[in-house]
Amino acid sequence: MTLIATEELRSMKIFRLAGLALALVVALLFAVFVGDQGPWYFAWVIGTVMIVLISGAGAVLLDAQEDGVANTEKLS
Amino acid sequence: MDFINPQVVDLSRLQFALTALYHFMFVPLTLGLTFMLAAMETVYVVTGRKIYRDMAQFWGKLFGINFAIGVATGLTMEFEFGTNWSMYSHFFGDMFGTPLAIEGLMAFFMESTFVGLMFFGWDRLSKPGHLAITYLVALGSNLSALWILIANAGMNVPEGAHFDADTMRMQFDSFVHVVFSQDAQAKFVHTSVAGYVAASMFVMGISAFYLLRGQHRELAARSFRMAALFGIISSVAVITLGDVLGRMDYEKQPTKIAAIEGLWHTTKPPYEPWILAALPDDEKQVNHFEINIPYVLTPLITHSFNQPVIGMYELEEQAGPRIRSGIIALTALRRYGETHDKADLNLFNAHQDDMGFGFLATRHAPNQDVTNIPADQLDAVVKQTQPDILPNVFVTFWSFRFMVFLGGYFFAIFAVAALLSLKNRLEANPWLLKATMWSIPLPILATEFGWITAEAGRQPWTVFNKLPTFLSASGHSTGYMVFSLAGFALLYSVFIAAELYLMFRFARLGPEEHGTHHDETDALLSHFHGSHA
Repeated sequence: MTLIATEELRSMKIFRLAGLALALVVALLFAVFVGDQGPWYFAWVIGTVMIVLISGAGAVLLDAQEDGVANTEKLS
Repeated sequence: MDFINPQVVDLSRLQFALTALYHFMFVPLTLGLTFMLAAMETVYVVTGRKIYRDMAQFWGKLFGINFAIGVATGLTMEFEFGTNWSMYSHFFGDMFGTPLAIEGLMAFFMESTFVGLMFFGWDRLSKPGHLAITYLVALGSNLSALWILIANAGMNVPEGAHFDADTMRMQFDSFVHVVFSQDAQAKFVHTSVAGYVAASMFVMGISAFYLLRGQHRELAARSFRMAALFGIISSVAVITLGDVLGRMDYEKQPTKIAAIEGLWHTTKPPYEPWILAALPDDEKQVNHFEINIPYVLTPLITHSFNQPVIGMYELEEQAGPRIRSGIIALTALRRYGETHDKADLNLFNAHQDDMGFGFLATRHAPNQDVTNIPADQLDAVVKQTQPDILPNVFVTFWSFRFMVFLGGYFFAIFAVAALLSLKNRLEANPWLLKATMWSIPLPILATEFGWITAEAGRQPWTVFNKLPTFLSASGHSTGYMVFSLAGFALLYSVFIAAELYLMFRFARLGPEEHGTHHDETDALLSHFHGSHA
């Protein structure tokens, strides 16, 4: 029973890896094609992701800053 | 040839300009807010902190009001091409209709479906599932804009198509070429990130309002921080893409770039000042006074130190041979229509690129017929047509400058706001909070000026160098145009008033306490979504 479960887990892992590898290949092909044919479209995709991530990082930094202040106040 | 009444053409232009300007008050906010909502929700999913869910829900409600009214104002514009610009639609329908139809599908199927899921799926979908939906809303709204801008780029730089002498209209050569044209790409990214700037200022301004009043600090400080960072990067991107578009206009639309820069004469590089301010006189073709910044123009426009920018006098001179060639094209086309002789078709094809200049000459030809101009009158017709190739310089020059000055202001205010927010010193600088609050409408204004620059600079053409505006309109009566214009102005003003009322109302109401809902807000959004769908 345990052996079957382990086998299933292993094949699921392989499927997941294969899926991720396929997604990676598609992403690379997309990047090569769009980067070549539509450099500004590509820049928009990359730029928007970057803007979203930096903006989110700013908010997380604010959380950390406020947590830091709260901890300092507690300690003092 | 019977011309459409010039008054009707002017009224058709005014009506389109009015509806487009109204519609574009809502579009930038939609383009930018969706990605800001996605950013907020991403932080919620990653950190699990509930405040970010509240943020996404609060700003999402303001987005919902804007989205619903934005869709309503956009609907009429799609029909306007057929009702008021039927000649244009016949001539350019293949090129313009395809992206417009795809945009319709994007807006109504992808965007609207996911908007419903985004609003009502908070408690019905998993966290990652809802986040994926929010990203799809953002992607859908921006892809809608993409197809509109592809269509618009086709009007400004009509590549990937040719005029077919048998069907008498422009037909596709390559759809891929149209979608991936440099102009379409740059226009899309410039417009999309201009929307990010508008949304950043909107979120920052309302957050500043709360911070000044000491309300909802937890939500306002985080929203302000995210918006400031979103805005500073976006404003750099807007400026970069604006420069790219300027460079493209230099190559593909020399009359537009000359009008934008108020250049009556060809420049002599490397010394050539950039005109900061001037009073261009379209009648006398001079600038009455100028404030100049030396050495800036050549590298700014040409990205070099040795290439000249062609001035409007010289462009007029260069248009002379093209007008003659266009007259030959139209004469050959007319003969081909009657005889279907291959020789006429070949002659037309040899001069096809200049056909639009032949159309432009029709206003000055005897009996408005360029195919029967007596030889002794040809020079006079060409001479009279030459000044017609220029857009309204005063409007193009100043709308561009207002946009640029505002762009510089946005960069400065976002930079200061990001810095002070990162140092947690916002409340110590109320002047900045007040400035951001009062700056909320300015990015919308800047995008309107940008649109005026692009479209007024394209004149006298609806399809650049192919079809003049005065030949593009439908043959309505003046009374019909005045009546419909008044109707649109009234209806759209009601939309604007409703938007402002709802925005002020819900912004003042503020975010809900964690986990609670305003029934009133939900009912409103439900109503909007129901009526839209």
